[in-house]
Amino acid sequence: MADSPASTHRLTVRDISLEAVRRGAGRPILALHGMQPIDPAAPWIDLLSRHGEIIAPSHPGFGDSPRPADFDTVYDLVHLYLDVLDSLPHDKVTLLGFSFGGWLAAEIAAAGSHRLGRLILVDPFGIKLSNRETPDILDVFNAHPDTVRAREWHDADRFAPDFNAMTDTALVRYARGRDALCLYGFQPYMYNPQLKRWLARISVPTLVLWGASDRIVSPDYGRAYAGLIPGARFAVIDAAGHHPETEQAEAFVDHVTAFIG
Amino acid sequence: METWWQCEIPYPFVPKNVLDAADSVRASLPSHWCDPKIAADLYHEVLDEFLLCDDEGLNVLAIEHHAGINSLMGANPMFVGILARQTRKVRILSLGTLVSLRPDPVRIAEEYATADVMSRGRLEIGFVKSGGTEMPSNHTNPVGNLERYWEAIDLIRKTLSTHDGPFSWEGKYFTHRHVNIWPRPWQRPHPRLWSATGDPFTAAEVGRRGMVHVLVLRGPDGTKRAYAAHRHARAEAGLPQVSTDNFAYAAFVYAGETEDEGRAGGEKLLWFLNTSLKSAPQHSKFLPGTVPPEFAPQIYRTAPPPTAAPDMTNAEKGVVPASQNARRLMSLGVDEAMAQGILFCGTPDSVYRQIMDFYDQVGGFGHLAMIGRSGFMTHEESVKGIKLFSREVAPRLRDVKPIVPG
Repeated sequence: MADSPASTHRLTVRDISLEAVRRGAGRPILALHGMQPIDPAAPWIDLLSRHGEIIAPSHPGFGDSPRPADFDTVYDLVHLYLDVLDSLPHDKVTLLGFSFGGWLAAEIAAAGSHRLGRLILVDPFGIKLSNRETPDILDVFNAHPDTVRAREWHDADRFAPDFNAMTDTALVRYARGRDALCLYGFQPYMYNPQLKRWLARISVPTLVLWGASDRIVSPDYGRAYAGLIPGARFAVIDAAGHHPETEQAEAFVDHVTAFIG
Repeated sequence: METWWQCEIPYPFVPKNVLDAADSVRASLPSHWCDPKIAADLYHEVLDEFLLCDDEGLNVLAIEHHAGINSLMGANPMFVGILARQTRKVRILSLGTLVSLRPDPVRIAEEYATADVMSRGRLEIGFVKSGGTEMPSNHTNPVGNLERYWEAIDLIRKTLSTHDGPFSWEGKYFTHRHVNIWPRPWQRPHPRLWSATGDPFTAAEVGRRGMVHVLVLRGPDGTKRAYAAHRHARAEAGLPQVSTDNFAYAAFVYAGETEDEGRAGGEKLLWFLNTSLKSAPQHSKFLPGTVPPEFAPQIYRTAPPPTAAPDMTNAEKGVVPASQNARRLMSLGVDEAMAQGILFCGTPDSVYRQIMDFYDQVGGFGHLAMIGRSGFMTHEESVKGIKLFSREVAPRLRDVKPIVPG
């Protein structure tokens, strides 16, 4: 878990200034984080940055990215990142979205951007599949923290954040992220009822990756999600929960590099 | 000083082992533990106590809490409707239906206007910010709650005071393009508005709006600080000074014929603190939007930090989170509760003295909201307490007239 702000990089879009991890060179890989900002010390970043330039901003309200008072919906985030896509070098960008950020990435791809080259979704939220009495996605704000921890990780003792060991700064960032996630994703909880219909519009090559032990949102949900995106590939990463990029960094990067070539 | 009697209608008849095993006695406790026959008896008893207050000249106060052993008053407007018709003399304070949890403030205004007319102008309207377990119980986003609270109040106020045909509201949280309620309220421009808050930031806004400011179980220091924030904000905004009539305090109060009887009643009231506040961490300290992120080090750590961190909850600039206030209150005994100014009990003389000591400590207030029944207190004990208080204490409090503190 990051002790300090993700990096000194800033990414400015219109009136919004985002903190951003930037690593590597070459073709851009825009990474949209999930429930918490991307940790600049995460091993997958170094591994993947050998294959392109990773640009991983923190969404407004997360980490050290301010949130304008009237910026409070997924709609705002989608349009922000459409702007970010337009601003990056190279013709085509690979869009990589994790969890909540996977929902954003799916929305962006369904909306369509001429800058988008490939799409990678990792345990994404965003659609409603089960019946009205069966939630697809664990309500992390309404479940006991021990339950969330157990369902989020394959090996929680090794990978879950240790609040007692975190610095004040890291804990404040963590709490800030939870507030922002709740703001954006509370209602309906972590999905857009309309998105399922429009996933068929996604026209770029797509890879959907899932942690086999993810019990925040299950691999079956992932399989169905991938089935709604034309031509999407689906792969499960063993011995990983909701964050395969953290628990199985090498396997994760192998999948990604095989896909992006 | 006016007195407002209240009972939250708790439901204490759940086995202790069940309560001990549950991580929350609110929001998540299965309702099979609530026997409707017992609940009906409780409703009838407490409504009778409200009517006794009407006979005895004590104003009445109805709160709202949801889905827990602490209170069966989930539907405040229903109680207010009954009180509007069944009481005859006293004033009725709704404190209040939880406005930030309800989707349409116009409907709330309509309910309040109805009760105001039905009572021929005896209604007072209170607002409570809500939080904690009320959020999941009412499917409400805890982030943005305070903003939603103020917008709801703005819309209710405008709805109650607009009588020239439909107006439109397209706010951040509420949209209603055709607002025109019948009946309009009895009182003009609208019933007096109250707001309950202990935090200085909200207190300042309550002050600028000129609402009656209620502090609930906050003790002398927190109460004094909140009243000061209220007055300071008014002065800063160039608004006229307000009298003690703009300030209220809510505490447990029980008068008995002897000191021992009064204390025994007081001890029963503390059930509310000792038993009914328990709530799961995801509904209290970890609930998003509840505590500023800067407090995370104290909230998240269970062991001392690697390097000592400043305790911001004790800093003057900070706000003691409601969840932390709750944890402090859960272990109180009678003497501690009396010492902290959240329980006034004993003989009528002693209760009067305790209230006036507190009054002096906080610089005065014009309204005492007395929680007169809680926990396992019986109907008979409650009736006795109401009669003694209304005959022996309330008349003396009524002689304490509003003043503008020098």
